[in-house]
Amino acid sequence: MTIDAVRCVTCGDVAVAARVRSVDGVEAVVEVGHAVERVAVDLVPDARPGDVLLCHAGIALERLDSETEA
Amino acid sequence: MRYVDEYRDPALARGLAAEIGSLVTPGETVRVMEVCGGHTHTIYRHGLEELLPPEVELVHGPGCPVCVIPMGRVDDAIAIAESDGVVLATFGDMLRVPGGRGSLLEANARGADVRMVYSPLDALGLARREPDRHVCFFAIGFETTAPATAITLLRARAERVPNFSVFCNHVLIEPPLRAILETPGLRVDAFIGPGHVSTVIGTDAYRFIPEEFGRPLVVSAFEPVDLLQSIAMLLRQRVEGRCEVENQYTRVVRAEGNTRALAAVAEAMEPRADFEWRGLGVLPGSALQVRDELADFDAERLFALPGARIEDPKACRCGEVLTGQIKPWECGVFGTACTPERPLGTCMVSSEGACAAFFSYGRLRQPREAATVGA
Repeated sequence: MTIDAVRCVTCGDVAVAARVRSVDGVEAVVEVGHAVERVAVDLVPDARPGDVLLCHAGIALERLDSETEA
Repeated sequence: MRYVDEYRDPALARGLAAEIGSLVTPGETVRVMEVCGGHTHTIYRHGLEELLPPEVELVHGPGCPVCVIPMGRVDDAIAIAESDGVVLATFGDMLRVPGGRGSLLEANARGADVRMVYSPLDALGLARREPDRHVCFFAIGFETTAPATAITLLRARAERVPNFSVFCNHVLIEPPLRAILETPGLRVDAFIGPGHVSTVIGTDAYRFIPEEFGRPLVVSAFEPVDLLQSIAMLLRQRVEGRCEVENQYTRVVRAEGNTRALAAVAEAMEPRADFEWRGLGVLPGSALQVRDELADFDAERLFALPGARIEDPKACRCGEVLTGQIKPWECGVFGTACTPERPLGTCMVSSEGACAAFFSYGRLRQPREAATVGA
């Protein structure tokens, strides 16, 4: 199942859960479904690989459930 | 996919629908406004109204930032885009919003350099890669999106990027909620609060709604099971005689929000004296502007903008749709002169707009109402 492609991230208040693959300073590489993206982690500065982050418009807003996936 | 599939479980949804049915009083209508366009989209896409008893009426609120942008601001963006050596970057849905002089997409067809980005940081990246051009980001969105713009502005200053600016149109959620709550003859009994806006501002930001206006609010996530659970939580409050702010989206929303995000926004932006909203008029303190300290990156100070106020087309009833006074199909031009392909009003532009969502997913379900409008 994929995140809806037709939705506008701003209007829909859409944010997606993404698993951190690696962190380099204030940038992280995250996996969203089968895609890989770069997001800014200024607002979640202690993000580390395995964390699940809520991402919107190119930045991580929050860590989901304070939970880390293996 | 984790965090999605479990919230679309049909058995869970049917169980919640049954619980909702047990919480209503036959013949007593409860009107619930979902503030957020994302919720509106989920409700229509998944046919949630079909699962609800007739006593629960959903009212679609003003929570789509594209839908509330007045036509004059679109014309201002077009003026920036048509300036020499400028790239105007913005989110995809803004490209199709009609202003008084057409849309940004039409300006693009006339030769203006308009580009779609997914993040304001992508616009800043464009400015770095194209130092001979000025890149202006047309920023829209509620508190969910403002932190991304704020971080972009702060990075632009730290890196001293000379050819980047922001045309700031970020709006705030509290003023329109107050405007709706202060509407004479308000017919909304309870609210479903936006999930990701609340990730930033926290659930405490809504306490004025029960305390000053005597209406409950539940902050909700976006999947069908989330919304049904939020409706059940609101109805349970009524049954138990409670009226408070509750949080259904506990997996990510906290009472205080994300304080780092709020601090970043406060460092880069400040409230405007007032801002015009489609459908709601001019609301004091309802939007953000770039702070004086970042004036070098403020498009409103760098470009001469027309700044005109443009009346909506007479036939368009977006304002009444946005405030929940009429349903989309009750507008005379819905689905005829105004369609997603050629939108007349902004509610038909974004897929989160109430009219576009209803056009895409719900219009075949309402033959009786649609026929009545045409009569």
